[in-house]
Amino acid sequence: MAASLTRFTRRRARNTAFVVGATLLLVAITHLAEATLHDIRFVTGWTLFGLIVGLALFDLRRRIAVLPLGSASDWEQVHIYGGWFAVVVFLTHTGAGLPDGPLEIALWIPFVAVTISGTVGIWLSRVLPKRMRDHGARELYDRIATRRAEIAAEAQALAISSARDTGSVTIADYYQKELSAYFQRPRNALAHLTGYQGHLRLQQQQIQSLHRYVDARGHKILNRLSELVETKDDLDYQFAAQSALRLWLFVHVPLAYGLLILIAVHAVLAHAFEVGPS
Amino acid sequence: MSAQTTAISRPRRWDNPFDPELSTVDVERILTAPVFRDLDPDRFPPGQSLPDIVRNDARINRYQRGDIVVLEGDYGNSVFVILSGAVNVLYGYLPEVGRPPPRARRPFWNALAQLWRNSRESETRTLSPSARALHMRADRGRAYLPDIERVIAEHSVTLLEHGDMFGEISALSRSPRTATVVADTDCELVELRWQGLRDLRARDPDLRERVDHLHRTRSLLAHLSESPLFAHLDEATIALVAQEIRFENHGTQELFPTGELPAESDGSLAGEPLIAEEGSLTDDLIMIRAGFARVTEHLDHGDRTVGYLKNNDVFGLEELVRQWRGNGSVPLRNSLRAIGYLDILRVPALVMERYVLPTMPEHLLPPATDADMRATPVWKRDDSATGIEQPLVDFLIDERIINGTQSMVIDLDRCTGCDDCVKACAATHDGNPRFVRQGPSHDDVMIANACMHCVDAVCLIGCPTGAIHRDLSSGDVHINDDTCIGCGTCSRSCPYGNIVMVEIADKAGTVITDRETGAAIRRATKCDLCAGQLGGPACQRACPNDALARLDMSNPGELVAWLRR
Repeated sequence: MAASLTRFTRRRARNTAFVVGATLLLVAITHLAEATLHDIRFVTGWTLFGLIVGLALFDLRRRIAVLPLGSASDWEQVHIYGGWFAVVVFLTHTGAGLPDGPLEIALWIPFVAVTISGTVGIWLSRVLPKRMRDHGARELYDRIATRRAEIAAEAQALAISSARDTGSVTIADYYQKELSAYFQRPRNALAHLTGYQGHLRLQQQQIQSLHRYVDARGHKILNRLSELVETKDDLDYQFAAQSALRLWLFVHVPLAYGLLILIAVHAVLAHAFEVGPS
Repeated sequence: MSAQTTAISRPRRWDNPFDPELSTVDVERILTAPVFRDLDPDRFPPGQSLPDIVRNDARINRYQRGDIVVLEGDYGNSVFVILSGAVNVLYGYLPEVGRPPPRARRPFWNALAQLWRNSRESETRTLSPSARALHMRADRGRAYLPDIERVIAEHSVTLLEHGDMFGEISALSRSPRTATVVADTDCELVELRWQGLRDLRARDPDLRERVDHLHRTRSLLAHLSESPLFAHLDEATIALVAQEIRFENHGTQELFPTGELPAESDGSLAGEPLIAEEGSLTDDLIMIRAGFARVTEHLDHGDRTVGYLKNNDVFGLEELVRQWRGNGSVPLRNSLRAIGYLDILRVPALVMERYVLPTMPEHLLPPATDADMRATPVWKRDDSATGIEQPLVDFLIDERIINGTQSMVIDLDRCTGCDDCVKACAATHDGNPRFVRQGPSHDDVMIANACMHCVDAVCLIGCPTGAIHRDLSSGDVHINDDTCIGCGTCSRSCPYGNIVMVEIADKAGTVITDRETGAAIRRATKCDLCAGQLGGPACQRACPNDALARLDMSNPGELVAWLRR
């Protein structure tokens, strides 16, 4: 049975087991502390701080490729599952309640934001690459603008040639009023990320409806324009997906560093205003 | 001022001789030695005279009895001619000593310093007028076989003496050494590197014939000794078998029928010559000696690719065994076609039945074919030999990816396009990435444009200086930047477009130009698998999503394991 499981499945099971085991241990320690009237908030606090510092090291690993610091994928696994355990420690530390003071709110909000952005990031990283495969060839992010410009230039040339060769302005007019702007910049990012395809269907229907007004040469031009619209739509999908895969990091990483600073401040204040027997 | 600092003399072929210390007397001595004295100097043009070639591409190595000259399994591209003394050739004997040292890794702090020392400008070089290539000398820091008497007594050896030549198999086929050669007495050998041998062969048909004859004869014996199918035979029987074997060459030197990467495969096998046809009688066992072959089965109006064969693989064994076991004439189940250039050996069925099959160990006999195989729809079949699903096998062969031993394979289902691999590559190459994260793809598998370190690295053939070469121990293909003269031959030869010519610049970013013509000085660049870096290829280590791996595509099992991870 175990042999039929993929390496990724086994890894997921092993890592989950680690987190569950660590959680159970933490719960047991907490109960034991409560039973013996010990305050373990300093323990959980420092554990959380250590965990978050450890998680932040992943970013450092990504920047230092010149040293043999282990594979980034192993680091990412530690980062993900360490992150889940950090959530457990956070809930233990805060008593799973809502914050009730300004500093607590200032800590609670970035922690939740980092957790959510990280979770969203994992989800995007697992889902979007597969979806991109259904939307044309994978284009390098830096080349998307160039490719879009090439498509736009071909579409424009087709529109101009239609007016010249067919003696009809139907296609040129449609291009000028509808398609020109469509080809100029990325479109429908939100629709792409939510999987909505209505905009493409509408555009294709409009192009299809023009067929009755043009001659045989016009049909060919419209067919090609339709292909270009689809290609551009795929390119827009690639752009939206790859942008999303980059943008979540711009939220997650700065917030995480900000959180680290706030936790340090919190630790200093907590110790400064510590009450009870030391 | 700027022009003075960025203009140099364009590097030329003769700038870095194989042995800078080779004297005129040595050159004359080589020219009067066997093999060389038979060459006709009039066949060589003034700009590339025979003495010029010898001076540039030859050297004299001196060995003491017991010294290892070449070691089986190592990579090398030189041929040797014995000037004095004698050597012993040992097949299948692999001493524990004498392996060339792996490429030196940079110290930890040196590696770390790349973080701030990498140039901000692209493709910068520090050019020193005294910069010279270091050609590893086989006779210095040599390995010694301490118990040579015992080894000679216990193993079958072939003695080569004054005037004999060896090393031509590796030189001509760009493959590892097939035998270990040990000095039998104190001896002197002329070592002629590939570039010299290539030019001499091109100008002198007699030498070409002589070298090619040696190559054919010896590689046959080497091939038989390497093949497990013949391992149970004694020497006398192997010699009998060898006499009956026929050589054949098929296909063209070009990997792709058109000479370049196809824009889109139409599924036809035009340009891949048929060597053995499905349904015909099984007359021979076909052994692949060099190159790749496609195995197909006829299906409706087309041909389904069943798998591919490479060096040391055989075709028709199952049919021969069934025939020998009394099933009458058994037709071939599949067809065999040449992919690019293919060398094969044909062992007649009668020879197999008389000498080889009766004593062949049971575990080497092929199992009966799975009868249910043909009932599986073609698009769903996992090929029995490769274990890879049918469309992917077609893709790998059509695009000739099977040639790669270190292909950069990217799982598009996991690649987020974060470019950490590209950044890591740049960080370990002075700010210059050595691959493009794009390339031919099939379904979720993309083969990025990174040097694949091919089984048959055709980029090595034309290099005038030997700047592009195989690492002696690993066989990886590297470019020596100091001896690259920027001719672009390797770049044009690479069927995959994975060698990029770049214009080099000084530390200030100013393009370095030729003092005479003003043209930019160029260098060939490509993936070097992070040679010298700590931890191996940085691209693979840097991928956080397990999306990138360097895989040996000539070994389907490696890809299958990765796909099923």
